[in-house]
Amino acid sequence: MTRTGKPRQPDLATLTERAKELSCLYRSIEILTREGTEPEEVFADLLEAIPGGWQFPEDCRALLVIGGHSYRAAGFRETPWAQRAPIRVRGADVGELGVYYTEPHAAAEEGPFLREERQLLNTLAGRIGLFLLERELTGAPAAAPPESAGGQQWRVILDFLRRTEPHLVDWIAHKMLNHLRWKGVAEAEALAEPAGDAAPAEATEENRPLVVAAPQAPIPTERVFAIAREYLSDDELGVYIQGCISQAKAAFLITALEDQGSSLDEVGAALKHFEGLGLTEAELPAAVQIMIRVALLRRFFSDDLDFINVARNLVRLDDFLKLRGRVLHAPNSHGKLGGKSAGLYLAQRAAEAAAGAEPLLRDIKVPRTWYIASDAVLAFVRHNNLEEVYDRKYEDVEQVRQEYPHVIQVFKSATFPPELVTALAATLDEIGDKPIVVRSSSLLEDRTGAVFSGKYKSLFLGNQGGKPERLRALQDAIAEVYASIFGPDPIEYRAERNLLDVHEEMGIMIQEVVGVRVGRYFLPAFSGVAFSHNEFRWSPRIRREDGLIRMVLGLGTRAVDRLTDDYPVLFSPGQPALRVNTTAEETERYSQRMVDLIDLEANRFETVTVRELLRRCGARLPLVRRAISFLDDEHVREAGPLTSDYASSSAVVTFNGLARDTPFLAQMDALLRVLREHFHSAVDVEFASDGANLYLLQCRPQSRAARSAPAVIPRDVPREHVLFEARRFISNGRVPDLTHIVYIDPEAYAALPDGDMREVGRTVGRLNKLLPKRQFILIGPGRWGSRGDIHLGVSVTYSDVNNTAVLAEIARRKANYLPDLSFGTHFFQDLVEAEIRYLPLYPDEPGGYFREEFLLGARNLLPELLPESAELAPVIRVIDVVRETGGRVLRVLLNGDLDEAVGIFAPPTAGGVAAAETPADERAAEGIEPTFLDHTRWRLRMAERIAERLDFERFGVAGVWVFGSTKNATAGPRSDLDLLLHFRGGETQRRELLLWLEAWGTALAGMNYLRTGYDCDNLLDARLVTDDDMLNHGEWAGKIGAVTDAARPLRLTSS
Amino acid sequence: MSTTKDRVYNSFEMAQAQFDRVADFLELDSATRALLRDPLREYSFAIPIRMDDGSSRVFRGFRVQHNDARGPSKGGIRFHPQETMDTVRALGMWMTWKCAVVDIPLGGGKGGVICDPHNLSLREQEQICRGWIRQVASDVGPFKDVPAPDVMTSPQHMLWMLDEFETIHRNRLPGFITGKPVGMGGSLGRKEATGYGVVFTIREALKELGVRPEDTTASVQGFGNVAQYAIELYTQLGGKVVCVSCWDQKDQVSYAYRKASGVDLQELLGVTDRFGGIEQTRAAALDYERLPGDQWIDQDVDILIPSALENQINAETVLRIRPRVKLIAEGANGPTSPEADAVLKDRGIFVIPDFLANAGGVTCSYFEQVQSNMNFFWSRDEVLGKLDLKMTAAFEAVLDVAKTQNIPMRDAAYVIAVDRVAQACRDRGWV
Repeated sequence: MTRTGKPRQPDLATLTERAKELSCLYRSIEILTREGTEPEEVFADLLEAIPGGWQFPEDCRALLVIGGHSYRAAGFRETPWAQRAPIRVRGADVGELGVYYTEPHAAAEEGPFLREERQLLNTLAGRIGLFLLERELTGAPAAAPPESAGGQQWRVILDFLRRTEPHLVDWIAHKMLNHLRWKGVAEAEALAEPAGDAAPAEATEENRPLVVAAPQAPIPTERVFAIAREYLSDDELGVYIQGCISQAKAAFLITALEDQGSSLDEVGAALKHFEGLGLTEAELPAAVQIMIRVALLRRFFSDDLDFINVARNLVRLDDFLKLRGRVLHAPNSHGKLGGKSAGLYLAQRAAEAAAGAEPLLRDIKVPRTWYIASDAVLAFVRHNNLEEVYDRKYEDVEQVRQEYPHVIQVFKSATFPPELVTALAATLDEIGDKPIVVRSSSLLEDRTGAVFSGKYKSLFLGNQGGKPERLRALQDAIAEVYASIFGPDPIEYRAERNLLDVHEEMGIMIQEVVGVRVGRYFLPAFSGVAFSHNEFRWSPRIRREDGLIRMVLGLGTRAVDRLTDDYPVLFSPGQPALRVNTTAEETERYSQRMVDLIDLEANRFETVTVRELLRRCGARLPLVRRAISFLDDEHVREAGPLTSDYASSSAVVTFNGLARDTPFLAQMDALLRVLREHFHSAVDVEFASDGANLYLLQCRPQSRAARSAPAVIPRDVPREHVLFEARRFISNGRVPDLTHIVYIDPEAYAALPDGDMREVGRTVGRLNKLLPKRQFILIGPGRWGSRGDIHLGVSVTYSDVNNTAVLAEIARRKANYLPDLSFGTHFFQDLVEAEIRYLPLYPDEPGGYFREEFLLGARNLLPELLPESAELAPVIRVIDVVRETGGRVLRVLLNGDLDEAVGIFAPPTAGGVAAAETPADERAAEGIEPTFLDHTRWRLRMAERIAERLDFERFGVAGVWVFGSTKNATAGPRSDLDLLLHFRGGETQRRELLLWLEAWGTALAGMNYLRTGYDCDNLLDARLVTDDDMLNHGEWAGKIGAVTDAARPLRLTSS
Repeated sequence: MSTTKDRVYNSFEMAQAQFDRVADFLELDSATRALLRDPLREYSFAIPIRMDDGSSRVFRGFRVQHNDARGPSKGGIRFHPQETMDTVRALGMWMTWKCAVVDIPLGGGKGGVICDPHNLSLREQEQICRGWIRQVASDVGPFKDVPAPDVMTSPQHMLWMLDEFETIHRNRLPGFITGKPVGMGGSLGRKEATGYGVVFTIREALKELGVRPEDTTASVQGFGNVAQYAIELYTQLGGKVVCVSCWDQKDQVSYAYRKASGVDLQELLGVTDRFGGIEQTRAAALDYERLPGDQWIDQDVDILIPSALENQINAETVLRIRPRVKLIAEGANGPTSPEADAVLKDRGIFVIPDFLANAGGVTCSYFEQVQSNMNFFWSRDEVLGKLDLKMTAAFEAVLDVAKTQNIPMRDAAYVIAVDRVAQACRDRGWV
């Protein structure tokens, strides 16, 4: 600390000694004022307590002689290095208190003793004399002094301080005076009043400053404490004075924290100093405690007020003492740790705080974590002279996108500042060769919601091999995460939200991967993500607050992401007995197939099949018995203690044993409840278990997760623009731009003969392929996918509905009977993974509304789309919303908090037209639209470029069209780019054309990987249609000039 | 167009209409018709349950014993939210014919509970199972009426029911229920039974057609349990499967995999997940050609074995069947539509109807009951050997009727079933 202007602090050793002396004094007074103890016992305790106040307690022994009887501490022997004080009662010597060192020590003020130690000894002797007097007066061996303990105490301490630190007494008196004045004590006011000046100002409504009553100097300390005694109890005084003393001792810490200019180093040093003083947080006055905590929270984590409000009641100073050693930063750093770190930290503290009342929360751990302060990225950029990278964010997003691959390369080949390299190397020494994960912890997450988190990566490292190799891999991963700040998606996102000028710092967490080594693999027993709110309820018995857990064998990546061809196990921890999948068939179909883990031999993140893992590791996997069930025919049987044949093909991941025989679900339920309470909002939590302990990996407010944010339900929509309102079993979400409705008229359907009912199912399947993906809603009676009685709902399989955005079921009251809805149970998990919204409609129930006349009155496209199904037109109605409403789309807004949903006809949002109409927090929560548009725009541009560069003559091509997700503006990061080419050439031309297209596809795949991280071999899905196809309206040729979802021409020959 | 009210009775009315046609053919008297058109006995009862949250709910349970002239009623118990007495009646009648056609000494029954297991915890389901038994404990039993698993019920449900039944009767009566796990009174060979049964009938049909199995090729729709064991046994007989279709979960479409030199079952199983889905790339590496799923029917083979879904051979697809095809064995339920049936008849293609071809399952259930009653359990080979005898005999009997009466195999199967039941009723002096 080199800056001037700060008060000089006494050196650490001195402060430590004062603290020890005070503690000894407190302790001794406490012993002497204890009620109901024999003097012998009191003396024995005293002898034990006294050495603690001296410089070398381990060599220090006390001797107490009273009335010729001497009391000795254990191990006492007489030596020349002694300090003695007489004990007097009524002026007569009755004995002596002595302190002896058993070994020689360096000379100080009085032999080896300090001046303050002499003061302490005298004070103690005086106190013992007082004690003897009291016993003598009362005659009773155990009578308590007339005054309370506190009263005795504060006086003794003040006396002691007067002798050792008189300036501190002045300061305390000053504070006490202020304290009394705030309490409105007139004498205190008078004492503070400058002599003969105007009357003290009353607080008035007048608009002129109050006249300040300046205190007299110097303060008459005796008078102050005398006044104080009249207004405060002895106990209050004692506590107040002690708090003042501690506060004075902690002043340097407060100063360091309050100074915005102090660096992390300086804050760290101050913390260390505080620790060295042997002070504890509890000794500080409550307000000072809070002040210090708030200051620390702001320095280390976040300025976010919501966060601080929650956190300040949970954190302890000790936490920061521990944290200090885990923060890596550049010299003079002013960085923070970022949102992810803050959330995790808070969750851990909340769980610990609740563990007293809830034993299930004991032993919830957090993996060892190191943090790189957010401004290390600035040091990194500076060190490599890469400053121009900051300017890129103001460039056109297009250019950002094109240059991004270079940024990654440049960052990955850059070097780290030497201080950081040293710190990383030291961290690796601590970690050893355990696998680690490098996660981003963005400061912007605090500001805008965790929408950002999805845009940055978590990178798993095997962390195997020699130290240089491991260090290189770690630096590489950090550089990659740093580069992601300058990726096009975050920059575009920030540009849209006017956040470009905000500091783009990002903290990094280096976390040990939770797991155990099994053979060549390293993996957790299980991991996953848990949500306070269940947005995918599979039974009406499950309440939203019952929560949702998605969990998998191995690393949690497969539970966090939604993969349409693999399934995590789902639980609702509040209703653990109600499972999504009840039959053996469902259990099998919706079970996990692949496992993410770390292959230690290959030193990397790897995905293997469950079967392969069980074959190789089987019974050696942690908790495998709790995870695996066996399906014998239709019988689901949990693994038992003697099970060894895990390689059996009937093994399936169910976690049935975990649910039934361990407290895991109750634990998660308790955890979610506690966290929801502390965060004042629903949370989502990532967790993992190594087989022995449950670990928290991440925690954030759930409402910030983009897709499950509650939508704002507009109240002022004119009735003619509302299609339906629903009030039961509603989850959160928002489906913005539906262009088509497929409505199965329940009455017309009920009147059909069986065979035609089946045909309805098949027709829906055909429409599903024909209509623009994720832009239509299916509304039908009763139970979609009913396998039993076809009269209860349209018989479809998941593949017949997999392109819809919303699956709605209508339950119309018939006489007194309200039919059950399916809640999508027949393919529930498919809906979840594809994020297809399920919506139950009860038009005849209170709060239900359904404008059927719109659906029945609108023009039905079915005969045009599928002429062969035209006879079903009275039953199946396909409605082009845009055409029917004069340019509006159907927007479905779901708000689970209110248990309300609406379908309204609104102007389309794409292109940000409606962005201005939506409230800001809602926009922030969406996050999804810009990315869809973004993926589409890029693909469209690429498609245009391909069309432009395509040599029609050379390859015999007559036209190029684009269709599918790119045309429909629904392209996601892993969508293909679908092209149709009208081909008229010969065989050689066909071969050459395909080759040319393949080259494009591979190149686009590479670019897409850099953009999004999704890897594939070929991004281009090009279909050649011939003249014959065109004439016969073959499958693909039919897209050209189709009634709906037609392919869009990019370039055609003039003919 | 029928009204809503009529429609509710549809499934049972359909079953009755089907019976009426056969009764006409057999010229059954009115008393026999009246006896067989409706169930002998029906039970409908309440099952009150204490739910996990402490509340009470009442579920409705059913049991229908359609006919037990030939032996104890046999039939599953369904858990279905929209279960109706009429569905149960129709299915109970169907069970009577099904047992009769393979000539096992059992009658037909069916039961159910109106409930959706998706909304119930396992404990609640257990309470329903036990409640169901308490209501009918004196009307069912190993020699009266033998339940089995069905829609949304599993071996676990059967064990709960068995336990409740045995507790009430203070006895051990494993023959009371079938579908139990092996080791808890279940029978070996059950997995193989249906698929093997299909091939036993194929073998007999080929004899009738005068073709040696080793000279034949087949195309199979589906790659589930039935299909896999059918392929296994058919290949053992010397036949060659050249095409198999299966559902691809990832692409959400079905594909057909073709290999002209013949499908190697073990090889293909090596690249198949538990769900009967074949991995595209690994299959390609093994020289399997991937075709659109519906092309299993276009193959130039001697035998088609649809063993996946209903209504696969319909008015449209039947036209794509190659001239070489001489035999269709229905491993699935209802794979052929009536329109297609007519075309097959015209073309002279031999059809082994579903309820004969896939009767291996119910026959094995009967074996489980027999073994449980004896408390002596056979080896797998013994089970499958006996299955062969039963299926072969059943096939021959149906074939005989088809030939002597000059009617299609499907009709012959019905006729023989109804005739056997009617005869039993007469023998007992009921009518």
